Amino acid sequence: MSVVPMTNNTVEIEPPVSLWRDAWHRLRRNRLAVFGLAVVVILAFTAVFGPYLTPYDFLSQDLNSRNMAPSLTHFFGTDDLGRDVFSRVIYGTRTAFLVAIVVTFIAVLIGVTLGALAGFFGGWLDRIVMWLTDMTMSIPNLLLVVVINASLKTPIASWMESRYLATLNPFYRETIWVDFLLVFGSMALISWPPYARLVRAQVLSIRSRPYITAAQALGLTNRIILMRYVVPNALGPLIVAVSAGLGTAMVLESAFSFLGVGVNPPTPSWGNMISDGLRVWQHYPHLLAAPAAVLGLASVAFSFLGDGLNDALNPRGAK
Amino acid sequence: MMMASDIRPEPTPKARERLLDVKGLTIEIETRNGPATIVDGIDLHVDKGETLGIVGESGCGKSLTMLSMMRLLPNKIRVTKGEANFGGRDLQKMSNADLRKVRGGEVGFIFQDPMTSLNPVMRIGQQLAEPLIYHRGMTKAEARKRAGELLKLVGIPGAEDRLDAYPHELSGGMRQRVMIAIGLACNPQLLIADEPTTALDVTIQAQIVDLVKELRDKLGMSVVWITHDLALIAGLVDRINVLYAGTVVEDAPVDALFDNPSHPYTQGLLASIPKLTDERSTRLSSIGGTPPEPGRRPKGCPFAPRCPLAEQVCHERVPSLEGVGQAGAHRVACFVAQRKLEAA
Repeated sequence: MSVVPMTNNTVEIEPPVSLWRDAWHRLRRNRLAVFGLAVVVILAFTAVFGPYLTPYDFLSQDLNSRNMAPSLTHFFGTDDLGRDVFSRVIYGTRTAFLVAIVVTFIAVLIGVTLGALAGFFGGWLDRIVMWLTDMTMSIPNLLLVVVINASLKTPIASWMESRYLATLNPFYRETIWVDFLLVFGSMALISWPPYARLVRAQVLSIRSRPYITAAQALGLTNRIILMRYVVPNALGPLIVAVSAGLGTAMVLESAFSFLGVGVNPPTPSWGNMISDGLRVWQHYPHLLAAPAAVLGLASVAFSFLGDGLNDALNPRGAK
Repeated sequence: MMMASDIRPEPTPKARERLLDVKGLTIEIETRNGPATIVDGIDLHVDKGETLGIVGESGCGKSLTMLSMMRLLPNKIRVTKGEANFGGRDLQKMSNADLRKVRGGEVGFIFQDPMTSLNPVMRIGQQLAEPLIYHRGMTKAEARKRAGELLKLVGIPGAEDRLDAYPHELSGGMRQRVMIAIGLACNPQLLIADEPTTALDVTIQAQIVDLVKELRDKLGMSVVWITHDLALIAGLVDRINVLYAGTVVEDAPVDALFDNPSHPYTQGLLASIPKLTDERSTRLSSIGGTPPEPGRRPKGCPFAPRCPLAEQVCHERVPSLEGVGQAGAHRVACFVAQRKLEAA
């Protein structure tokens, strides 16, 4: 029995605009966020297509043109071995993105899983996860990386060398991935707690919100409630955290490489380039300026993008 | 059966059909000291087309009874006994899938706080469309059209333009109208309004009461209105159940309750409504003491410790709900009131 009068005039039906499209509209209006997004996209593009963009091989030395100032042939000049700084910065972008993505991906995977389980089930599971989180957070990341460098890296490298000599399998000759996996893998293993806490807090607070009860009272299934009521409300802060986390991981990679415990030369990293440039900056400032400027730009870009996403995904908080 | 053209079913008090029948529902909460009873074997019923007001102070189990009936309670609170029949089926024993069809499809809910009962990241048009798509199998376009009509029905100006608004873009009163529209989306037989005006200011409260009244008459549904404000619902409901500490202490047609309140608690509630004719210096009257905490219920009548008329028997035995007038339609659970009637 429908008592509601059916109107004859046709209702203009627009396609329903999703949360994401809406967030995109709001993001586009935020200039800083657009700037951040543009820089991130350009850097990502550079990282992916690096080998096709570099005018020179990042390793090729030209001892006749060492420490040259920026010019049209060498945009960022050359370093003390005559290597093209522009090409090295581009390869440094690859390093930075690879590390940032690996670290953030592993950390988010662990953090979201543990956080969601803890928030959803509560009880003893929650207590164990929170205890693990607190324990992990107490480990200083620099110390951990130094310890791993000092303890694990050498035995593994020598083990790989012995395997190579025994088998002549070229797989064992490549030691760069040991840098990446060992150092930054261990970094990932201690950077999940913020994600776990964030997701747990989100799930906990959303689970007890009246609109979840209201959705249950509407007879919606748990799946729909989870997909349309819990997840979208929890995702905003997570996306913001991931964006900020990518930037942080890049800066950390540079910091560790700067200190000599991250990516080892000759693999280019913004951090070890800055470290090299710092020694001669009074004479050749471009050697310091180029990688430092790109690192600064990347860090600021991720930060702006994170802020912009925060505003775009939280309609209530946005002005 | 009534015809489709009927706007409201004829009120035929004698031959009324039970829509909701709650029998002996007992609700317990898990505490550190073991389970504590919050609602103790409550009986209540709603007939088809009837509007029932449930009145009582905070924590007396009003909302809990309704939520538990629909099995919407948090984990620590459980129904341990009793049944809740809706249209002849026990909601407590129903499968989850069947229950979901009842929720939203046959029983609509309006919640206390419109500020937090709407999903903040979903446009209201979508939230309105959700039950229509789910329960009525409408397409997105159909549901959107119907959502626009529903907003118009609850009196939201510029209804179609509002479909794309987020909850935060609407005022409290408007949001409560949206909640009502969502509750009514599937033409439910029963609308449960859980203190829907508590979070709103006084003028808006009256508007919401009038709106529900108008919609009830238009759609011919039953309404359960939970409140602590007797005066607010006087013009809306047919019958009132007064709840105290998880039991119905008085059940009466609305006029009988106001003219002849029989339970000392009801009398106290009515006396505590301030009157315009009172002297300025008059202190507002109140009922002394506080309701019993769950797990510390008195042995006898739960109201006895606060009751000015309490006798020895009140502390020893629990009074049952007995008819005191209106041919059994007015019932009270009080030894003193029942004896008075016998004497008369």
